[in-house]
Amino acid sequence: MPRPSTEHVSDPDPRRVSVELTNICNLHCSYCVRDEEQLYHSPASYFPAGLLRQIIRGARAAYGSKYVSFTGGEVTLHPRFCEIVETIKAENAQFGFVTNGFHFDRVYPILLANREALRVVAFSIDGATREAHDRWRGEGSFVRVIRAVTKCYVEGLPFIFKAGIRRDTVPQLEAMALLAARLGAIGIDFSHLLPTSAQAEDELALSREERTHAEQEIGALANILKMRVAIAVGHYNVHPDPPCANLRGVSCNVDYRGRLTLCCNLAGYRGAEGEADVVADLNREDFTAAYERLQEVARKQLERRRQALAAHELAGREPDLHTGSPCLFCLQSFGKIPWHQQPTV
Amino acid sequence: MIPTTIPVPFDHIVFTEFDDREGVLVDLNAKRYYTLNETATQVWRLLEKQRTFAEIVNELTAIYDVTDAHAAASVERLLSDLRMRGLVRHR
Repeated sequence: MPRPSTEHVSDPDPRRVSVELTNICNLHCSYCVRDEEQLYHSPASYFPAGLLRQIIRGARAAYGSKYVSFTGGEVTLHPRFCEIVETIKAENAQFGFVTNGFHFDRVYPILLANREALRVVAFSIDGATREAHDRWRGEGSFVRVIRAVTKCYVEGLPFIFKAGIRRDTVPQLEAMALLAARLGAIGIDFSHLLPTSAQAEDELALSREERTHAEQEIGALANILKMRVAIAVGHYNVHPDPPCANLRGVSCNVDYRGRLTLCCNLAGYRGAEGEADVVADLNREDFTAAYERLQEVARKQLERRRQALAAHELAGREPDLHTGSPCLFCLQSFGKIPWHQQPTV
Repeated sequence: MIPTTIPVPFDHIVFTEFDDREGVLVDLNAKRYYTLNETATQVWRLLEKQRTFAEIVNELTAIYDVTDAHAAASVERLLSDLRMRGLVRHR
């Protein structure tokens, strides 16, 4: 069966730094991985352009990154988005960002004025229909995304769709891919659910067999469509080589507080019982020195993964899902899914 | 003969406006874009407000320097096109 293209295969240059531009979001998607206190009950925090400049320079010096991927919270809520983009341009870097599209009009003129620095806009969707999407994101959300996508299409701004692979979205994988393709997206990225509670895992997450089936379906779509169809790291992968750019040392995350962390999937995780993935406060510390420590965290995690995989091989059994999925393995290791095994970091 | 039914956009059509002049429709069922010129955008806005044919013609003659007959013919042609493409229905 065809395998879907993976992040580091389909992405010609995975070297990047992801930056959380803000902690807050205007939507309330119950499956979101970000801590609820951070999203809805803490004062809004907006990433400063000055710190961004330092990070871009540090990441470039450390591993040649020229690309910044903005996440959040909801990126378009940053009140000085223009200044952020101008900082990117001034540093001869490029940027992309994930958005729910609801307030896209706030940033649209800025994107038009700085299109040469924009690599991609990634719109998050929860289905191929208004009903499916709005069920999670609230009435009117889907229309907002479509309007935002229309503006990107008309003006030639590159965009993709990002969709989670969950029990409710599996029947719509093809429909979402076709929607993306027909609306002019340059790609669609699927990623497995990162569970934030035992209940969410029971209700929404797929079994190992169901995941394999979904991945094969995505692989088939990748073979059929000209548009890029990819599945993010997190799919079952028992090869001992670094499974992602972060563990390979060519990507890292800086959270909305300016702290250097291993991965944007781990940072500020809802319900987590550990923050061993956070290595430094870049408001106080130089990126280069902090990055060295992050590399050590990545190296140890990679070794931990290798040992876990080797143990299964020695026992003559296939690794279970939480060992075989790199993301689930890291979530477990760093204490992000406490209802599973105790953290090892 | 002036049509008496009111044409209304289908629910599965999403309208996006650009610069107060042109517009783009997305047919979510067919997953297709349609570009509207300035006049068509004006008409579409009025359709969304459920204006009658006569009201739409009146609006256009107020905006543009055209006769009633000319405006009516243009609107009729446009509505026919929109109906044919499954973008509006008659209420």
